[in-house]
Amino acid sequence: MYEIRFHGRGGQGGRMAAEAYALAAFLEGKYAVSFPIFGAERRGAPVKAFTRVDDKKIRIKTQIYQPDYVVVLDETLIETEDVLEGLKEDGMVIINTPKKPEEVELSKPVKCATVDATSIALEILGRPITNTAILGAIAKATGKVSIESIEKAIIEKFGARLGKEAGEKNALAARTAYEKTLVGVAKGGKEFKPRKKWLPTVEEMPIGGAIATMQTEAGLVGIGSFIENKTGDWRTFKPIINKEKCIGCKLCWFYCPEGCISMQDGKATVNYDYCKGCGICANECPTKAIKMEREVRA
Amino acid sequence: MNIKDLPDEDYFTPGHTACAGCAAPAIVRNMMKIFGKDTIVYTPANCLLVFSGTYPHLAWKVPYLHEAFENTGACISGIARAYKKKGRKVIALGIAGDGGTYDIGIQALSGAAERNEDAIYVCYDNEAYMNTGIQRSGATPYGAATTTTPAGKKILGKLEHKKDMAEIMRAHEIPYVATLSISHPKDFLEKVKKAKETEGFRYLHVLSPCPTGWRFDPSKTIEIARKAVDSGMWTLYEAEYGEITKIYKPKKKIPVAEYIKGQGRFRHFTEEMIEELQRWVDRKWKRLYGEEP
Repeated sequence: MYEIRFHGRGGQGGRMAAEAYALAAFLEGKYAVSFPIFGAERRGAPVKAFTRVDDKKIRIKTQIYQPDYVVVLDETLIETEDVLEGLKEDGMVIINTPKKPEEVELSKPVKCATVDATSIALEILGRPITNTAILGAIAKATGKVSIESIEKAIIEKFGARLGKEAGEKNALAARTAYEKTLVGVAKGGKEFKPRKKWLPTVEEMPIGGAIATMQTEAGLVGIGSFIENKTGDWRTFKPIINKEKCIGCKLCWFYCPEGCISMQDGKATVNYDYCKGCGICANECPTKAIKMEREVRA
Repeated sequence: MNIKDLPDEDYFTPGHTACAGCAAPAIVRNMMKIFGKDTIVYTPANCLLVFSGTYPHLAWKVPYLHEAFENTGACISGIARAYKKKGRKVIALGIAGDGGTYDIGIQALSGAAERNEDAIYVCYDNEAYMNTGIQRSGATPYGAATTTTPAGKKILGKLEHKKDMAEIMRAHEIPYVATLSISHPKDFLEKVKKAKETEGFRYLHVLSPCPTGWRFDPSKTIEIARKAVDSGMWTLYEAEYGEITKIYKPKKKIPVAEYIKGQGRFRHFTEEMIEELQRWVDRKWKRLYGEEP
């Protein structure tokens, strides 16, 4: 048996990727199960999904804590958490990033495959949904399923939901990623500080209990404390404001769901710590002073 | 009241975890700029609760409460009365989604309205139970695909039309009922301000386009809200004590086919379905504007 853990963001299709991979393995005569884990996550928040594949019936139903493979659909996730947690000694990580495996920095040096799935998805699908492209990379990196089975599974699974043409396009995204995937060894040494949990837990709170705003070892809690949650790493595109064209009408300031636009010297300014890149500001700007550009991360 | 009259001070912080392009945070942030710091916010179960109040973190800079799904009306009644007893002037503000208003919360809401409690109730209407994964509600429009009314072989989306909740509230003859859209800032802000200045039970109903549930590009949120108004799918008006006192009429009415374009939840629409939805819009239009569309 081998186990795969997918790290993605809500809406990127981590769950669909896990399911499509299971289907591909099934098409090759294996037993396979897949399931996601999510609580109240919105689109953009980190989520996980799991796939198990075996030659015999699979009885185990738990989450995967010691995966053979870790798949990361969004490279910003490797900055905020140790995706290698529990990965087996000879395990491998497959990451969506434009970097080469040798340039990726993780908590320890491990076998690593990389592919720029976001660019492939944007080019072929026109949307930064990377779940099908990454499947091609998994096939290449692990050699556990053939790319043909992956294509078949995608056409079946995505075709049923989005129509035949979309199914085929997604299969092409997987094939392209398959051909572009690089395999190597990642750098180790990156340190992650385990985040302290804030106590009491919600179960331990007395009925009618209230939380005051306070600075704790686990960070700020209580009223207004979401300000410490930087949502800027959710975005694929970022708004660039042309100050010459900005007339200071404040429409973007009003419409921005994040409240991350402020007015400085009468011109709109974006706080990229929070901007999720929805593009409403660019779409609504009456003078077209805002342009959405692909986010390039260092 | 215009955008430029709004204060810079925010009572709803960035860092919340709503989907990119969600209209709800823009709605509540701008409302809170007007309601101000002397506000107690209550929300039942809805997306807003989840993305702005994940224990122990909170995006609100005012006191905030959460209780069960069905009792927004009861809770804001309690808040309003408790503060009145203490002799403090605060705004008791309840913000529920369409599920928590149209279906689950209607009993407590109707009771609070009938007693004319001194509170403000906001329904942010994204036309389905988005929080739990896009299940149909009484607010879901005709033909829209949701996970419980999928477009398949047997049915093509929801079979019934949207319930007219604002009209139900108007029938309570409360001091103030208004329908709002974030796409019309001036109208939006004036109504929020008026709600703040009115005493007694006030009901604000805001359309809140949902990129995830309606399946459209997150940059189009405001554009779609605007099209909803222009097509008559969403009508903007206000009523005092049951009498309609102000109506916003779009300059040019667009066909409903224009509104549904670009929204995945209507992708399966046939010509007959477009006609059926148009008939519903035209009936509503005639009722409100008193003229043939």
